[in-house]
Amino acid sequence: MTNEELSRIANRLRLDVVETVHDAGDGHPGPCMSIADIMAVLFFDEMKLDPQNPRWPERDRFVLSKGHACPILYAALARKGYFPLEELKGLRSLGSFLQGHPDMNKIPGVDTVSGSLGNGVAIGLGMSRGCKMQGIDNFVYVIVGDGEEEEGIIWEAAMAAAKFEAGNLIVFADLNNHQSGGKVTELSSLYPVPDKWKAFHWHVQEIDGHDIGQIRAAIAEAKKVTDKPSLIACRTVKGKNIPYMEDNNAWHKRVPTDEEVAIAREALKDKI
Amino acid sequence: MATKSTREAAMRAIQELAREDDKIVIISPDAVAAARATKFREEFPDRVIEVGIAEQDAVDIAAGMATTGMKPVVVSYAGFLTMRACEMIRTFVAYPGLNVKLIGLNGGMLGGEREGVTHQFYEDIGILRSMPGVKILTPADAQQAYEAAKAMMQLEGPAYLRLGSGREPEVFPEGTPYAFGKIREVKSYGDDVAIFASGFIMDRAIAALDRLHEEGVNGVLVDVSTVKPLDTEGVAAVLRRTNCAVAVEDHNIYGGMSSAICEAACHFHPCKVLRMGLRDVYPRSGKASELLDAYGLSVQDIVNTAKAARE
Repeated sequence: MTNEELSRIANRLRLDVVETVHDAGDGHPGPCMSIADIMAVLFFDEMKLDPQNPRWPERDRFVLSKGHACPILYAALARKGYFPLEELKGLRSLGSFLQGHPDMNKIPGVDTVSGSLGNGVAIGLGMSRGCKMQGIDNFVYVIVGDGEEEEGIIWEAAMAAAKFEAGNLIVFADLNNHQSGGKVTELSSLYPVPDKWKAFHWHVQEIDGHDIGQIRAAIAEAKKVTDKPSLIACRTVKGKNIPYMEDNNAWHKRVPTDEEVAIAREALKDKI
Repeated sequence: MATKSTREAAMRAIQELAREDDKIVIISPDAVAAARATKFREEFPDRVIEVGIAEQDAVDIAAGMATTGMKPVVVSYAGFLTMRACEMIRTFVAYPGLNVKLIGLNGGMLGGEREGVTHQFYEDIGILRSMPGVKILTPADAQQAYEAAKAMMQLEGPAYLRLGSGREPEVFPEGTPYAFGKIREVKSYGDDVAIFASGFIMDRAIAALDRLHEEGVNGVLVDVSTVKPLDTEGVAAVLRRTNCAVAVEDHNIYGGMSSAICEAACHFHPCKVLRMGLRDVYPRSGKASELLDAYGLSVQDIVNTAKAARE
């Protein structure tokens, strides 16, 4: 698949999110937009998956540690064929299987529960050890937000993953510099992020998280490193490509109006 | 009374099972020695996942491994597991129903004894009992701990095995049966009063039953070795005979086995059930036997409470 095609898929997923959150009347649209390009590369190019057999043991694993961004995960799964697209509008409603945050038993294609922040790296590390011990030749991909790296368990897992030389563990850090309560750089001293992962003995790359070519190249590079877990630090924009959401934390959790959906459709119509 | 290590017994059981099942692994937040898993590590060096002093990490790693079909057993001190890693157990193990086993050491005052409050854990059962889907096993001595560990590993889904200091008295004769999910009558002199007991306080409950008998009160002692799911039918059947009971455990009086007995009694056979445990205070450091006496769990306290239950 070309970079152009993947970029269009990313924007298609973005619009799916706007429409899903609008139709469902609830959800976190902003945090989905900064990871759309990573999601497109992972789900539509990189990961070894079988939508007809979601629990295929040999598959690559995916952990959305920032589980509140699940509307884009659900959109990716629907467009991969795990379930019909029309299910998306059921998001967060009682009769739907699409839970407010990812649920591995109710939603085909979801590999773990997530949503309580900070846990994804440790769970991904467990998957990486479990697969390795069973001779499964695969990769475990994790997306963490930047805000959730304020959680201590992130660094417990970072320490352990380096000790286990978990070369099959590839973590994307979505550095959009926003969290629920404001700017990450104002709420904590987390930044600079890459330095910290380097200090924890990870293989670290820094890229533009909206450049499909850079994402693909970084994954290819990370896969070559077999004796260290990899961190791909992605500079991103929260709300990316939705004009009124870009870098606007009001859209962390907010429902677009009919008019705002129309604006999003217009903004993306030539990019899908 | 001879003592045997419940920790050693439980780990021996798991090591035996591990020879037949290569998916069984130990996850250790620096607890291999404490859990008596050094022999396991000698036999299966690649199957001990040492994560360092990081209980939350240990539970999450176990959850991740379990999603791939492995059968991780997380070992640590009861409170570091159930309190520090409480949310990881609840959200990432219990909620998805993953096949993660938890072994908690230093359960109760008896477990922590001289270490003091930071290493005594009398909230673990209450915490876990409030989580849907977590089974709770509280064996009373080493032989029962061995059987309980084997039984736990046969269960699908999350389960917690409560162990103590490793210096627990052997209270039951060799060959005493064990059945997960069932209460067991240990000894019966009659139906004057029921004593429900669980865990390593059992020796005191046995002594109390005998002393009551000497004083003309003929009761029945029941071992509640599975706190969740509680054998409510069995409990109700005992209560229908005795119409009164005392429930004794080395746990805070809120949330543990005695609470569970009271809940069952309310529902199935309302009658007077007096709870005996730590009475909602933080105790002190001290020798195990002295601590139990000091905090209202002496043999005579059980005798007196059993008599009060009949009034």
